[in-house]
Amino acid sequence: MANMKIKAKEKDGIVGVKAMFTSVMADKEEAEKKKIVSEYIAQIIAKNNGVVVFEVTASGFMSENPLFKFSYKGKVGDTLEITTTDNSGKTETGTEKVS
Amino acid sequence: MDRRKFIGVSVAAVAALIAPVTDLKAVDFRATTPKAFAAEHVPEAIKEMFGTGGLKQTDKIKFTAPKLAENGGSIPVTIESDLDLESIAIFQDANPRSTTAVFTVPSGAIINYEFRIKLRKTAVVTIVAKGRDGVLYTTSKEIDVSIGGCGG
Repeated sequence: MANMKIKAKEKDGIVGVKAMFTSVMADKEEAEKKKIVSEYIAQIIAKNNGVVVFEVTASGFMSENPLFKFSYKGKVGDTLEITTTDNSGKTETGTEKVS
Repeated sequence: MDRRKFIGVSVAAVAALIAPVTDLKAVDFRATTPKAFAAEHVPEAIKEMFGTGGLKQTDKIKFTAPKLAENGGSIPVTIESDLDLESIAIFQDANPRSTTAVFTVPSGAIINYEFRIKLRKTAVVTIVAKGRDGVLYTTSKEIDVSIGGCGG
């Protein structure tokens, strides 16, 4: 499992998700200043039972170790799968059962 | 099976085959609109992302952000809306490039996003959202930053 923390809780038919990812989220300029390699999450996709429920194209201007909160219509027992792709094309996937 | 019917069936079969694939293959705005991610100024970025259509000021998109952010490296931002939107983009003027994030809204989704952004200095943050009817909605807010984030 990837460096990813996911919490998914259902209430009144709506699943509230908190997802935290590990990434320095450094864009070109910031990476130069800190003398590190530019690395940021470029895309995050969340799927509930295979259906896309959340999707974002991100950039290096989001905070370090980004935290996202979102909600969607779902139920207890659904499987939430989140995939992130970073700027070099590396992907990480994490899954969580809705409780 | 006559020819007409056969074509109809095969078209439906192909469509059924393609549909899940397009569903899995998400919209990567970095690939479809690379210029928007290279744009240094907000109007330019909006133009590259959504075209030259007129923007409509709205209060139906609730954009919550602190007035004063002490730490520019982590500014919590919330976007909420009841409108039927297709995509939501967030732009700012403080960083080397304007486009911060672009959300693709799946149909029937609840629009309630909370995330954190970086700002190098005090700047106006603009949200532009495209409705499924093609209307471009916009709302913006100025955020005061006392210590710049993003290596600034």
